[in-house]
Amino acid sequence: MQVKEVVDNPTFTEVFTTAQGAIYQSDSESCWYIDFAGKLARFDYRCLLKLNKAINSIDIEQKLMDALSPDMEIIFICACDDTYVLTLTQIIHFKELLQGTFVMLELNHIIYNRLYRTAV
Amino acid sequence: MKDIIRIKSLLSTEIEEVLNQQIKKEAQSASIYLAMASWCDRNGFDNSADYFYKQSEEEREHQLKFFKYVLDMGGTAISPEVTNIKIEYNSFREVFEDALEQEVSVTESIKAIASRCYKEQDFVTLEFLNWFFKEQREEEYKARRALELFEVIGEEGTGRWEIDHHIPKISYSSEA
Repeated sequence: MQVKEVVDNPTFTEVFTTAQGAIYQSDSESCWYIDFAGKLARFDYRCLLKLNKAINSIDIEQKLMDALSPDMEIIFICACDDTYVLTLTQIIHFKELLQGTFVMLELNHIIYNRLYRTAV
Repeated sequence: MKDIIRIKSLLSTEIEEVLNQQIKKEAQSASIYLAMASWCDRNGFDNSADYFYKQSEEEREHQLKFFKYVLDMGGTAISPEVTNIKIEYNSFREVFEDALEQEVSVTESIKAIASRCYKEQDFVTLEFLNWFFKEQREEEYKARRALELFEVIGEEGTGRWEIDHHIPKISYSSEA
């Protein structure tokens, strides 16, 4: 159902894609759709920032070196609808996807400023 | 594609984070001054206790200024947890030494935020910080003057009593 809603949305734009997933922006809803780990989840502005912070704060190296550490991580974002249960490999892929997305959003911000906002 | 992040907030994630760290720092300052007021009160330095109560209130006001600014600009202001506040001091002089150190630390922290703002060209936040720079001039001046009283008056005899009576008279009136 969620996928159908996304496809029907005319202002739906791809922000960043990797082999493992993709992030799309919906201008009309002012949110992002994350296609990752077998599901499509909707994130608003605050939740996307919180998700990025949560993923970036995971110390992957420490988890790989620690034999007692489980190979799974539960990503629970307060006040967000979705929770992720990810393996370390998935976390690395998710990190890559989010980093790429934020670089693209920053690039979009720069282009937007140059094209529409600044006089000089 | 709409620039949603900029539409939602004027602050970048990094600036929002450092401003939240500053909110915590101001809250810590308020608690430290309250602890100093408690120590002065317990040891008979009534005027100094009043001086630190006032300082504590001012720090709380600074905290709220940062707090409201973050919210007004579309960010998320985080109410901080304040722990490990020192409650005992070895001497009357140590209280004022710590107070000056606290003010220096706040000034340096705000300077670091301003430097970050320059880097990101966040001139709006930079302008907001100007008020704090002027305030820090006064805060550091008052803390330094208080400490100088220990040199000028001396602690011998009724020296500490004398210092306590001069503390409320410290004021900063530079119009520059």
